[in-house]
Amino acid sequence: MFGYVQPAPDKLTAEEEQRYRALYCGLCHTLARRYGAVCRMVLNYDFTFLAALLSGTIGTENRRCIAGPFKKRPVACENPALDLAADVSILFTYWKLRDGAEDSRGVRCLGFQAAGAAMGRAYRRAAGLHPALDAAARRELERLSELEKAGCPSLDEPADTFAALLSSVAGEVEEPVRRRVLEHLLYHLGRWIYLVDALDDLKKDVESGNYNPISLRFSLKDGILTGQARDVVVSTLDASIRQMAAAYELWDFGVWSPIIRSTVYQGLYCVGNAVLEGTFRAAESRRGLRGKKEQV
Amino acid sequence: MNDPYKILNVPSTASDEEVKKAYRELARKYHPDNYHDSPLEDLAQEKMKEINEAYDTIMRMRGSGRGASSNPSGAYGRSASGYGGYGSYGAQTDPRFREIRAAITRGDLHMADHLLSILLEHNGEWYFLKGVICQRRGWLDEARRNYETACQLAPGNMEYAQALERLSSSAQSYRPEGYEVFTSGCGDNMCGRLACAYCLCNAVTCGGVRFFWC
Repeated sequence: MFGYVQPAPDKLTAEEEQRYRALYCGLCHTLARRYGAVCRMVLNYDFTFLAALLSGTIGTENRRCIAGPFKKRPVACENPALDLAADVSILFTYWKLRDGAEDSRGVRCLGFQAAGAAMGRAYRRAAGLHPALDAAARRELERLSELEKAGCPSLDEPADTFAALLSSVAGEVEEPVRRRVLEHLLYHLGRWIYLVDALDDLKKDVESGNYNPISLRFSLKDGILTGQARDVVVSTLDASIRQMAAAYELWDFGVWSPIIRSTVYQGLYCVGNAVLEGTFRAAESRRGLRGKKEQV
Repeated sequence: MNDPYKILNVPSTASDEEVKKAYRELARKYHPDNYHDSPLEDLAQEKMKEINEAYDTIMRMRGSGRGASSNPSGAYGRSASGYGGYGSYGAQTDPRFREIRAAITRGDLHMADHLLSILLEHNGEWYFLKGVICQRRGWLDEARRNYETACQLAPGNMEYAQALERLSSSAQSYRPEGYEVFTSGCGDNMCGRLACAYCLCNAVTCGGVRFFWC
């Protein structure tokens, strides 16, 4: 997962925004408690959104944090949904790193291997807790790597691997209606993340010769998406977001509803647009710098 | 039955006009068009039935004889009637495809796909049904391609044209008021305000995650 899933800030009240922050911090604390401080690193917005989907009612408490040690902030309390979100974060990140190590060469490959090794213990624990999820991750990544090797020119087929994997998280939910809603929502979330990531990496992949389904689907020589091809990608991304929104409306997500609503009716469209226009990465690095300045 | 006001999410003191408005909003949200070919269609259908009943109950309780006979919006109709399987098209259908439509309606996509794969002649209907199977599985790009081929092979067919229209147009589907952004762009540059909003615990996350992923 890559940090693409964000709510739309202008659609949240101050209270809702604070709840989102509390959830983010809660997931961070849960990762540290269950897997050690280093594993805080895997935290990102996508997993925070997953936590919002999985959570029922959660209380908050005021706690300090290593990112801002001088001021206590509200943090979501320990609860099974956050635990599950943390376990899923560890599993997916580990497999993503393994996958990255296989796909890259040289220093980058070493970097992936080192990061993967550092997470080895955390991964074994998470896999022991959720063997079905771990098996699904292994299976789907193998399927994806076969498709990559074969140079599959479809958008849906490779996207189906990550979509099915994310959808399998719903299997951990007891309530049957909620499980069905989440299965569908998470399937399209996974599909959307996979395709947006492919769109984001399009130029880079074409230059380096890596597998990219969008480039193959439209036989793009230069990695530039224009005209009809662009319309097709946009329309299929929009269609997946509409599926998520339609699924969201069929379950009451309680206090997390505003966060999910602003994500599936606006946030995802905005991120998709920024990726399409090539402004997403720029905004990301700008934000990184600003964050560091604030720390100083 | 549950409290009808709660279902429509209005206070019991709401005026007729407010009740109507709330009903319309919900009817738009759970409209069959938003759930056509979704595996969650039955859940939406239940919701629609629930809000129709709640609206009728309120109108009956208010004793103005404006119950089921005067639906506030012709446009949405008794929308639940718009839900239906593929069997309903049976009469106009080539008999070979009837079985496939029945399998799709049952939700047995594997069987439907298998039955399609053994047919040698690929006509408009074949591509349409292939598209429906793809759409049910969430393979939306393949679904669109199949619908497009179906429409080319059978230009006058309303069923195929509607399926393609539903899949490709985002304009008609439900959005709450005030949400108007699309991947292709947005009205008043709200996208520009995207990423700067959340600088959560940057020291740990942005640095860390980017380190891994970049």
